[in-house]
Amino acid sequence: MIMTRRELLIAAGGALLAVNMPVLASGQPHVLIEMQGTARGERVWFDPFGVAVKPGTTLKFLNRDSGNSHTVTAYHPALFERARRIPKEAEPFNSGYLLPDDSFELTLTIPGVYDYYCLPHERAAMVGRIVVGKPSDKGWDDSAIKAGNVEDNVEAAFPSVKDILTSGKIRTPRLT
Amino acid sequence: MFKAISFAACLLATSVAFAHDESKLEQMPPEGPYVQVSDVLPLPAFLPGLGTLFVNPDTLPAGPFLGYDHDGKLSATIYMTPLEELKNGVTYDDLGVGLHKVTSVDVYYNAGHPGVDKPHAHIVLYHDAGAEERLAK
Repeated sequence: MIMTRRELLIAAGGALLAVNMPVLASGQPHVLIEMQGTARGERVWFDPFGVAVKPGTTLKFLNRDSGNSHTVTAYHPALFERARRIPKEAEPFNSGYLLPDDSFELTLTIPGVYDYYCLPHERAAMVGRIVVGKPSDKGWDDSAIKAGNVEDNVEAAFPSVKDILTSGKIRTPRLT
Repeated sequence: MFKAISFAACLLATSVAFAHDESKLEQMPPEGPYVQVSDVLPLPAFLPGLGTLFVNPDTLPAGPFLGYDHDGKLSATIYMTPLEELKNGVTYDDLGVGLHKVTSVDVYYNAGHPGVDKPHAHIVLYHDAGAEERLAK
């Protein structure tokens, strides 16, 4: 069997996911995304800020920042009238404010690209991107990539879909 | 003589009025119009580095914010000034101060948080030598 480069990248991403997937108390596999910040709040970030998951995977967002609260908020007209940056058929999501050690779980089933942000920290480019499934999946929707309607520094902060699919997850360098 | 005494009494009364009654702020909670920040915003009750914060909502975003340690002692007065507004010519003048004794001052950048979500500077006036350590965690 000969795989195209694109297929190879997708397969590699899937293999990485299988290795790095913790398990929820319910026994369901999940991906953990931490919300972090420096002690004085100079920098805030999601870690990892780019992840690839299979449809139906549960993502758990955990606030590890002892001095700040954060949200996980989808770009969607139903939430603060933002331009849509998730698949058209997907439900918008918003965690509300998470205090330190609070968490939020999210299960995404529609294949495509999901962009989200932290409500009080979007100006600081605290954003993330989730890739669900792969481009060959039925119903794949990556309209987020060309949706625009964010500041330049925010647009630049999203990792590329290609990089996410290649590595499975993109970590944020720990800042102090 | 009587005139001189009256004048001195007036001066004393005036200076006390300007100085405000520090004793009313020294222990948490301060009287109104101050409110506890964590009661009105989604933030932890004790913020590492700043303490338990109180603010008069009318003075937002700059403050002063009053920072109390875990024993409820006023340890710092904090101001939060959005960088964009400073750049656009906004000034914050004649800001109040929790206590008049200030032993050291820290100034640093903050990316934002509920209540002051624009990138801003924290200006922290510590009121005694051990204040920074007590507010750290």
